[in-house]
Formats: sequence, structure tokens, C-alpha cells
Amino acid sequence: MPLINRSICARCNTFIASDASAVQIGSARFCSTCAPLIKDWDYPVWLKIGLASLLLLLAVALVHGRKYFHAGRALYIGERLVDEGKFANALPYLKETLTIAPGSDKASLLAAKSALMIGDVASADKALHDHDGGHYEDGQSAQFLEVNSLWDHANEAFKKADQAGKLAQQDGKSAQAAKLMHDAASLYPQLPGFAFAAESLDGGAAFERRDFDSFLAVSENQWKEQPASETAAQLASALACKYAVTGTIDFRKRAEEMMDKARQLAQGDSEALKSIDEYVPRIQYRLSSRKIITKQEYDYLFRSGKSSAK
Amino acid sequence: MFFIPGPVIAALTFPGVIIHEAGHLFFCRFFKLHVFDVCFFRFGNPAGYVVHQQSENFTAQFFVSMGPFFANTLLCIVFCSAAFLPIWELKVFDPLAYFFYWLGLSIGMHAFPSTQDLSHLWVMAPALAKKGNPLAILCLPLAGLLVVANYARVVWADLGYGILVGVLGPIAIFKALAH
Repeated sequence: MPLINRSICARCNTFIASDASAVQIGSARFCSTCAPLIKDWDYPVWLKIGLASLLLLLAVALVHGRKYFHAGRALYIGERLVDEGKFANALPYLKETLTIAPGSDKASLLAAKSALMIGDVASADKALHDHDGGHYEDGQSAQFLEVNSLWDHANEAFKKADQAGKLAQQDGKSAQAAKLMHDAASLYPQLPGFAFAAESLDGGAAFERRDFDSFLAVSENQWKEQPASETAAQLASALACKYAVTGTIDFRKRAEEMMDKARQLAQGDSEALKSIDEYVPRIQYRLSSRKIITKQEYDYLFRSGKSSAK
Repeated sequence: MFFIPGPVIAALTFPGVIIHEAGHLFFCRFFKLHVFDVCFFRFGNPAGYVVHQQSENFTAQFFVSMGPFFANTLLCIVFCSAAFLPIWELKVFDPLAYFFYWLGLSIGMHAFPSTQDLSHLWVMAPALAKKGNPLAILCLPLAGLLVVANYARVVWADLGYGILVGVLGPIAIFKALAH
């Protein structure tokens, strides 16, 4: 501001002398042009337009960004549920985020972790590989390393399970197969199927060493845990073994009941029916002859082809 | 009044300067203080200013001086929130989001009141605080912090504040919404 001189306007330096229209504000005098401006300094038009445009743009951004808010909200809910250890609940939220933001490292890693923690390897694979081909910004972050380690364990477990599956097809290799499957189960305990399969192979190993009490105990437990055509057939097989060894008619009756149940449960599932069709004749042979032979021996005696199961 | 450590930085973040000065003007008008001159932006030091009548009313003085600090902080959170999710969390390339993040950070970076803005409060506040004026009691530590922050501008405290508010603000909002 210019130095205060009562004969000039304190703002624009216009000579006002004794001009009657001059206005005194505080200790300074202002010309008739400046005085109203000082009393009520208006916002410039460009500022009003600028602020209005900005607000309009913000409204557009908020409408345009609704999908991001939705995805972000799902991400934070998913993250909270992961922190609380509720992986199964978290996964749908994180999948929702990934449909809008497949490039989000955080969402992808959290989804992969949740999926791996509940044994859903297919979802974990999708979350990881749909994310920029599995490339992450920070390959040393704790979250990445944790998921990477879980993923490696799951893969290693699947390799072992695959080997176990192949060994289980061969006579006399059930004990080896069971050991491999137990290794898989301890490597990736999040997948309950491995522990279940390992127990089933334990039953196969018991059969091979002719420990039919253990075979029956395992088979009964398997049936109790997961009532399905496969477990029903395995229990029928174990009961048939016990009948063959003891001649107790109750074992035979129960074996026949379980064979019926296996057939009923296999209805509508062509793979299961095929398996039952292969398995049941061997159990029936065991019941009628009271001889316990392996599948290979049975195939040699009665079939020219080969099939699966104990 | 406003000071920026370089004309280039001022030019890059000019919306923050304009919003800050508009904030001063808004509160001057609100409390019916005379405004002698306004510069919303220029390549100089300060980059913007509002020359206004000093008030004996502490409330008016408080809001005229500190109003832009609160307004810029709030607008920084609002604009950064519109951009935070696609940029930081979702990694979605959205030019509008980047524009808003720049805008938000520019506004946040120019939130600090100048030392001159604070000096008037600093003179009035102690006596009123002794009389139990709650605004003066609140003002003293806040103004003290802001004086320190003003000196820390040489080490980019203003940019640091913008980033802090522009990142932590939206995180706090969205985490709260997720609950």
C-alpha cells in the first residue's frame, strides 16, 4: 500500500484532496472508486467460474469413480477379514475388487493368500497369473514373500500328491504312496483333501500288509468323514475282507449294504459309476470265495484289461 | 500472504495458492473486514496475498488467518480421496484421477498460513487464552506448530504435509467406510 497521504487515495494514489465523495476508512482515505471495492471485495469472475468448474469436475469424478469406491470398499473389507483370519469370507470381496482392478498388487496378493489358506488353488492361480502375468511391483514385500512361500508349498504338495496317485495305482506301493501323500498334507495342510487322501492310502497300505482291522478302522472313519460312493465302496471292501477272514455273517451283510449305498451315491456321476462297476465285482468275488486277492491278481484271473482302485 | 521456495514450485502448484488466497478473501468477506488488495497468483514472493484490515475480534482474526489452513486441508483430502483408490490401491490408469491427485496435493501443499498470518494471532492469543477463550487456547499450540512448520518449508515440510494429508486422509476415510 502507498504511504498514507490524506490528499491521495490510499489504494490507487488518485488525487482526492477535499473531494466530498472520498471515504475515510480507519486512518486512510479512499477515492469513490476504491471505497466500495475495499468494503466489499468481490470474487473475480474467473475464480467463480474456475471453482464452479472444479466442483463440477469433482462431481463427475465421484460419479465416474463409483466403481473404484466399490472396488476399494471391497478391498478394505477383504483386507480386514484376512487380518481376522476369515479367509473364506474375504475371498469373494477380493475377487470383486480384482474384476475392476486386476492390476492391484494388494488385491491380487490378498486374494491369492485367502484362496491358498482355504485350499482353493485354482482361485489363487487365477489371482496371481491374471495380475500382469504374475509380475509384482515389490518382489521383496512381506506380503509377496508370504504368498510366494504358500504358493511354493502348495505346488510342491501337488507334485507329491501326483506321485502318490501314480504309485497308488500299482500293487504293493500303497505304503510309499501314503507316505508321499502325508508329506503333501503336511506341506500344504490348508487343503484338507490331502490329509483325507493320505488316510485313504493308509487304508490301502493296511490292506497290502493284510492288517484288515486297520483297513476297516480307516475305511469307517473315511465314510464317517465324507459319505460318498468311493468311501462307501472302500468300506464295503474292508468289511468283505473281514468277512473273508472271520466268516462273520454280519460283516458280509454290512459289506452288501455298503455296496448298495456306493451304487446309490454314484448315480448321476459317470466317473463314479465306472469306478463302482470295476470295484464291486472284486468285492463280490471276495464275499463269495472268501479269498482276498489284489486287483492285479483279480485282473489276471478274470479280466484281460486293467482298471483302478484296491 | 504466502511464500513458496521457488517460482517453479509455485507454478506447478498454482491451484493451491489460489485456493489459499480465496480462503483468506472468503473469511474477510464473511467477517466484513475491509480488503485493500488481493493477488491470487504471481511469479514472485509471496506468490499470492490478501491485504486486509486487522480485526480486534479474535474469532475473525483466527478464521481469516487459519481458515485457509483448514480449507486447504479439507479440499486436499476431498480431491485426493477422489483419486486415491485408482492410483494407490487399485493401480488403475485413470488420467482424471492423476489430475485430481495433482490438484489435491497442490492444495494441501499450500495449506500452511504464512508467518505474517500467524503473527497477528500470536500477539492476541496469549492474553485471551489467560482469560479462558477456548479458541485462543486451541490456537496457541496450533499456531506454534505452524510457525515451526513454516520454517521447515526449506526442507519441504509443506510438500510433506500435502502428501501426508493426501494419503493418510483417504486411507482413514476408506478404512472407516469399510467398517
